[in-house]
Amino acid sequence: MVDFSLSPDAESLRDLARKFARTEMAPHAAECDRSSRFPEEIYRKAHALGLMNLNVPAEYGGSGLGLFDQCLIVEELAYGCGGMATTVIAHCLALEPILLGGTPEQKQRILTPFCASYQLASFCLTEPGTGSDAGAVRTRARRDGDGYVLDGEKAFISNAPHASLYTVFATVDPALRHRGVTAFVVPRSAEGVTPGKDEEKMGHRASATSTVHFEKVRVPATDRLLAEGDGFSLAMRTLDHTRTTIGALATGIGQAALDHAARYALKRETFGKPIAEHQAIQIKLANMAQEIRAARLLTWYAAWTIDRGEKGSLESAVAKCFASDAALHAADEAIQTFGGYGYMKEYPVEKLLRDAKLTQIYEGANEIQRTIIARELLRGYT
Amino acid sequence: MEIVVCAKPVPEAESRLRANSAGSAFDPEGVKFVLAGYDESAVEQALLLKQEAVGSKVHVVALGPPSRTDEVLRASLALGCDSATAVEGGVPPLDDPVGTARGLAEAISSLSAHDLILFGKQAGDDEEGLVGGATAEALGIPFVGFVVDLHYDAGASRLRFGRSVEKGQETWESPLPLAVGLQQAWNDPRTATLPAILRSRKAPIARRAAGAAAASSPRSLSARFALPPPRQGAKMIEFKSPQEAAEKLVRLLREEAKVFP
Amino acid sequence: MSETVLVVGEPDGSALAEATLEAVGVARKLAGPDGAVVGFVGGSDGASRAAAFAGAGVGRVLLAGDPKFDRAPPATLARPAAAAAEAVGAAAIVLGGTTFGRDLAGSLAVAFGATAANGVIDVERIPEGWRVRRAVFGGRATEERHLEGGKVVVSVRPHAFPAATGPAVPLASEPAPAKEVPGALVAPARTAVAATAQGSGPSLADAAIVVSGGRGVRAPENFRLIDELAASLGAAVGASRAVTDAGWKPASMQVGQTGRTVSPQLYIAVGISGAIQHLIGMVSSRVIVAVNNDPTAPIFRVADYGIAADLFEIVPVLTAEIRRVRGK
Repeated sequence: MVDFSLSPDAESLRDLARKFARTEMAPHAAECDRSSRFPEEIYRKAHALGLMNLNVPAEYGGSGLGLFDQCLIVEELAYGCGGMATTVIAHCLALEPILLGGTPEQKQRILTPFCASYQLASFCLTEPGTGSDAGAVRTRARRDGDGYVLDGEKAFISNAPHASLYTVFATVDPALRHRGVTAFVVPRSAEGVTPGKDEEKMGHRASATSTVHFEKVRVPATDRLLAEGDGFSLAMRTLDHTRTTIGALATGIGQAALDHAARYALKRETFGKPIAEHQAIQIKLANMAQEIRAARLLTWYAAWTIDRGEKGSLESAVAKCFASDAALHAADEAIQTFGGYGYMKEYPVEKLLRDAKLTQIYEGANEIQRTIIARELLRGYT
Repeated sequence: MEIVVCAKPVPEAESRLRANSAGSAFDPEGVKFVLAGYDESAVEQALLLKQEAVGSKVHVVALGPPSRTDEVLRASLALGCDSATAVEGGVPPLDDPVGTARGLAEAISSLSAHDLILFGKQAGDDEEGLVGGATAEALGIPFVGFVVDLHYDAGASRLRFGRSVEKGQETWESPLPLAVGLQQAWNDPRTATLPAILRSRKAPIARRAAGAAAASSPRSLSARFALPPPRQGAKMIEFKSPQEAAEKLVRLLREEAKVFP
Repeated sequence: MSETVLVVGEPDGSALAEATLEAVGVARKLAGPDGAVVGFVGGSDGASRAAAFAGAGVGRVLLAGDPKFDRAPPATLARPAAAAAEAVGAAAIVLGGTTFGRDLAGSLAVAFGATAANGVIDVERIPEGWRVRRAVFGGRATEERHLEGGKVVVSVRPHAFPAATGPAVPLASEPAPAKEVPGALVAPARTAVAATAQGSGPSLADAAIVVSGGRGVRAPENFRLIDELAASLGAAVGASRAVTDAGWKPASMQVGQTGRTVSPQLYIAVGISGAIQHLIGMVSSRVIVAVNNDPTAPIFRVADYGIAADLFEIVPVLTAEIRRVRGK
């Protein structure tokens, strides 16, 4: 039996996120985009409403949502502003390794105080020299007594300038490649942790992104997640889990593009009638609508699969890859529908293209997603 | 203070307005019913008073079919109300104000206590504003409507509030018990947090039937529901002098449009 | 049709509120040519209000003269008014749909054992009882309701009916039947009244009549013409965005998509061209009148009545005509 309708519970979560996105986020989206401002006051409100720690179980003070419910919320937030939604999902991404790999003692000790007040976390995997090739991280973790000393540099880390907690992937031995990668939880307060300055980005400008330098940072062994060498597979399992939420984020951006384009097409008149009555525009809107619907359903399916306990690598890669491409197409066609006005910053659609582009790159570039899809797919034929 | 809030499920603001196929009533097909408007302010006001008068409890009551009342009651519980009662509006039509009032009165009188009963000034759909006064009379409690700025002075055990009337604002005070038709809470309505929403979905709701008094109440029935016909363009008044134009306009307003300046 | 209809009088100083006189007109129609309209007044100073009833043609007035009603909630009059209606054999009670009337109507319905409707714009007798018409959903739709059973309480929307003007008749006032009102019901007390800070006009949100001025008014000092027309109608004053953007009037007076949405009985647009952003704010008004120099102005597409003329010539004359007709 399949049922594509939302339960009343799911609807009320979605409605909460929708109301927050449209009344608190959207009114400030253009201004934060223009001045690249990190709206801490909005993130504080999100935390107060339980819209930040979506994936952390209630026993540690989080909202304890399954992946499907998280996706409902993320789509609504992204509809309000892609950049602000990225702050939330990047934060959840950083906490996911602790949820997947932490001991009950670690979760209690680290997560409970963290969730109790407004704080941000960052997922530190990417480095200046290594993105897709995660096994080649060069940040070193040298054993020292009953702890480690971390040295290295991470790049393009979301939330980094404002985070109080970093989930860091470092290698205990570069020669071991991915088998040396180890995960650590590092507080901002540890000596030697230095986030860089906020990068000037094409889009998602309400989200803060920077390098993080680790210089002789002492980390006790009790803050290591799992064993040495378990970090790579922990990172991959984390990304399996969170990839789907990018699908939701991209769907939200795409839906916003479609809504703007359709409303404009009904009002703007050329050659004596609304442009919505011209075939050229109708075909654009139809293509956008098809792709956004498909993006949403692929995302839902991937989330449902993972919530059932399956690995979901294939389904989440399909969702992320398809939805991000769909969002880009939709934003592009939305600008075209607006014509000259679409090119002006005074109108909301050019921001959507700049925001959509990142969804094809981060949390696993779409090229990597396609290799994951092919690999998982071919397994089914052998 | 034991506070009771009566909340009516009303169509969501963005709902499409349509008549049923007979044209006799609003068509609720596909419409979502929610807590909104003055009733939402009444819930907010109850919660503010609960903060102001420590130890108070807020009980929310809604009348109608469960598919509508439960949404409104859960939303109110998620905002911070302590308990909820759903009264099944057994007498059609469900928007009969006096029948509704009698149903609410019976439900409220069965609660252990009710010091203050809050109603919204009027519902967003029928805008009758009758239920508050009618329920109060059925309970033998005084009623004041169009209330703003409602506070509880615990020392004097009195409520102090304003009443917004045509000429300006009145100042009032009253002992308990009192029923109030609220025009405005002293803060904007709060938003329920996600954990509170999740908790509210599992919270118990007491249920009761509307009762004999509601069933036997003389009825107000919807006979026709219509959207205004689309405007055809102005009837341009012809005149030879401004005086003639003014006289013609006033006459048309009185006799034809039946709007009496 | 021959019926007795009771009208509950609302005090306005020592006279009756205009809404009560409108209710008298409606009561007269419901009573029929051979029927009777009886007035009811609660509180002290009943004599002058009874006189006002008589001046409007209602000779028989019941007085519940207890001063305890003076500062008590309007709903407190429910039981005495219901008893008065029973005593005179009235099946229908009519009141003005003001804050006074609307507060009283619900309690009155239960005290009288009747059904009720607030703010009706039309009412007539039918075999099953009464049929009323009302605006609903913020003025976006209208409904007709059948009020069944032998008794009804109806409040009439202000400015929807003409005020009864007479001819005056001799007054025959009598005490209303003594009706015990429990102390609890008169316990809430009004301690003060403060007139609205912003002039004496009603607020945009609640007004039954709104007069708005637009760019055609040309200069801020000319807004006086709009204010006087509004005053003659007891109307609220609104403005188009051009006017508020220019700083002639505060933003709180802007009617339109980014300002306030109003749905009064009567909306008079003076010197307003009718851009879509303004129309969105007022198009659900029951009756729209437009005065504009330009006969092709878009406002005339949504107005019910239009005067294509110079507002500086029309508005002062219209104000004078309205004052004359209202006897002011």
